[in-house]
Amino acid sequence: MVGPTLRFMDGFAGFRTTHIAGIPVLWRADRRFKTFRVALYARRTHDERAAARSMLPSLLLQGTERDHNRPALARRMHDLYGAAVHPMSSKVGESHLLCFALDSVSGRCLPDRPDQLGDGLGLLADLLARPRLDGDGFPSDVFDLERAQTLNMIRTLADDKGSYAMERAIACACEGEPMAIPEHGGLEAVEKLGRADPEVARRDFLTHGAMWAVAMGDLPDESELEAKISAFLAELPERDEQPVAPAVVVPERDATRTRETTDLRQSKLVMVFRAPKQTDGQERVGRNLFVSMFGGGAHSRLFQEVREKRSLAYYASAGLDRHKDFVLVQVGLDRDSIEAAETEILNQLAALQRGEFEDRELDTARSMMLSSLRTVDDSIGQRVRFTTEQWMQQNDRSPEDVSRLCAAATKDHAVAGGAGIWLDHSYVLTTARETAHGETAHGEGS
Amino acid sequence: MSDRFEHLEDPVVGERVQLGETSKGLKIRVAPTDRFREMSAMITFRYGSTDLGFDVAGSRHSSPEGVAHYLEHKLFEDDELHVFERFGQRGAQVNAMTGFGRTTYYFNATTSLEENLQDLLHLVSNAHLTDENVEKERGIIAQELRMYEDSPEYRGFFDLLRCFYREHPVRNPVGGTVESIQGIDVAELTACYDAYYRCGNAALAVAGPVDSDAVFELAEACALRAGEAPVSRCPEDLGPVQATSHERAMEIARPRVLLGFKERSLVEDVSARVTRDLVTRIWLDHVFGAASDVREELHRKGLVDDSLSASYTGDRAFGFAVLACESDEPDRAVDALRGALKAPCTIEESDLERVRRKMLGRYVRTFESVQPVAMGHGDEALEGLAPFGAVERMRSVTVDDVRARHAELCRDDSFASVVVRAD
Repeated sequence: MVGPTLRFMDGFAGFRTTHIAGIPVLWRADRRFKTFRVALYARRTHDERAAARSMLPSLLLQGTERDHNRPALARRMHDLYGAAVHPMSSKVGESHLLCFALDSVSGRCLPDRPDQLGDGLGLLADLLARPRLDGDGFPSDVFDLERAQTLNMIRTLADDKGSYAMERAIACACEGEPMAIPEHGGLEAVEKLGRADPEVARRDFLTHGAMWAVAMGDLPDESELEAKISAFLAELPERDEQPVAPAVVVPERDATRTRETTDLRQSKLVMVFRAPKQTDGQERVGRNLFVSMFGGGAHSRLFQEVREKRSLAYYASAGLDRHKDFVLVQVGLDRDSIEAAETEILNQLAALQRGEFEDRELDTARSMMLSSLRTVDDSIGQRVRFTTEQWMQQNDRSPEDVSRLCAAATKDHAVAGGAGIWLDHSYVLTTARETAHGETAHGEGS
Repeated sequence: MSDRFEHLEDPVVGERVQLGETSKGLKIRVAPTDRFREMSAMITFRYGSTDLGFDVAGSRHSSPEGVAHYLEHKLFEDDELHVFERFGQRGAQVNAMTGFGRTTYYFNATTSLEENLQDLLHLVSNAHLTDENVEKERGIIAQELRMYEDSPEYRGFFDLLRCFYREHPVRNPVGGTVESIQGIDVAELTACYDAYYRCGNAALAVAGPVDSDAVFELAEACALRAGEAPVSRCPEDLGPVQATSHERAMEIARPRVLLGFKERSLVEDVSARVTRDLVTRIWLDHVFGAASDVREELHRKGLVDDSLSASYTGDRAFGFAVLACESDEPDRAVDALRGALKAPCTIEESDLERVRRKMLGRYVRTFESVQPVAMGHGDEALEGLAPFGAVERMRSVTVDDVRARHAELCRDDSFASVVVRAD
């Protein structure tokens, strides 16, 4: 089991740290910015409760005890100079993450210097601790409407062929693993939900979720910040935090393949690769560099060899999922190129794994990674995301720390980063026939 | 402080910008934001998918649809090391985008301003076009276009523009069609490049920790040709919509609805046009934004859901407001949204004040990263709009302006709707 807390020395990943009401709080005051973000995270193991959990953000935005509907909530945000208070639900590997974030312009940059932090946290507290309920659940009319909307949203996912192919690829590759459950929980699970289920999920998150808070930007001095965050966190129920289960690891096996058809013009290929778990910082950077050379942008083998030289695809890229140790390749291409593209992608991976790459390829991947790390501090959103990722992976390294590892990484580190990556599943979404769209027009000029 | 530039400061948030122009007429804006490590540079040309005709040597040159986008693809190729790789070796990300009336090339980086900017300017100053590389690109662009054609929103949007416009080229997809790009060759691309890729038709904007004198010298030295671009010849097309409705069938999970109004008049003065855009957006936000009781009522009745979006696009030669959403009952949704659009505008001073506050917050946020700063200054420079006017413009808008705008735009013969049905 992954422990809920980490060591505290001089802070974490470049943030100062403390505990308030038993919850780790990471903060970084930075007067370069005219805005700030405060985010509270709660994390649970991903399981069959996903449907109830993923409906929470939309239900919470339907109103609070004080602001009874969405327009009232929105007007309160507008009065706070367009502050955004948004609950978000996401699947992180095989965990479910709920985030309550406040993004606001700092009061010092506004007329009459309003208390944007205090007022914004008050709104955030209303949203997560005092939702508009009817007894033990959300009001029936609100719940029914939002459930219908969620069902529609799930159905409509199939219209975004790229996202749909990715979801199907993961479901096929991870059958029987929690990873196969989509973030929204699936149609059947949502259909079975009752109006009390999301409220049970809300209480479960706030009581048992592994929780931490992150604040960054133009923040007040330490004592004022602590007082305001203390008042905010005092709204939470008594805590009984439970650990998040580690992701399931699957032993290497023969690759499988799924081919599905629909009416589309550009086919999709998603290849799900699995990789060994890493803990050492230098090894992790080695894998980042390997995946960057493989498919991490316009400099990569997938872009250069598959798209540019062989014209096999319009796009081809690879991304790393650290929480599940996946390397996911996504390709948009013509139906006739699928086999050739898949073969070429495997060839390029194998070549890189054998160390068959030039120094300039590694140098370019390194330059891209260093440049990206240098800009993390330029954005509150990016830095908070970076720190949150580090926190979830118990990796106490700032962007500067990771940059040092990146600068020191050798060809051997990159090759080691690619070692043991194996293809588990190929998913193809393509067309079985030539497309024929029917069209009719009405009107004076038709 | 460099005397090559005019120095201006925003009275609201204290941001600075420097305005200059090279001897060949390339407008430059530099926003030296030393608090960031990242720099963003972009050069924008007043040339996009709607520029399909111009006069040259006494005769009319007509282009196939999609030529501006094709040219954008081709400029990312030169006779030396591959462009993406060269930027990548310096840790820079380079890209480009083509719109109805603009093509923009940009990079984001944390080091090597001189090398990156020199390369960016070199890209747009030299078109490396051969029969072979133009032919090779055709397949890649065709794949891109097919990808868009799988999107019901994309198909529906251009169906709606085709309802609005009988002949104005804004009705064509920005990248053209797989069929139209078959007619694009080296001669066509060269003709368009020679016409539009000129200093007098471009603006360079750079934001970040940069030396403005270095930017100026690189811009001064670049080989981009001097002179203005020809006036694009396209039909005015300000009459009634050419079709009031359109239907398309696609294999999709849920029908899509798109509807809106086209502009029936043009505004020459750029400042007045920007104000008109702002007033239109305030009206749309009032009726269809998150704080709207109208939207909430439609939502509660199940007529629209959170997929509903409202947008406005305004340009020198065209303009339109578009609502889009998913709906299981598209015909009812069209009727309800049309009713909401045409209902009397009820905005009050308190609503407007709330919108002003929201927009002020949004304005301050604009300066929290370099790319939107560079993009904003680039657009303003190209249009000849003075910097830092947004807050004053917001303050000057009145309730009567919004009501008048609603009445001007929402004419029956300016309205059209599109339904993309599930096949």
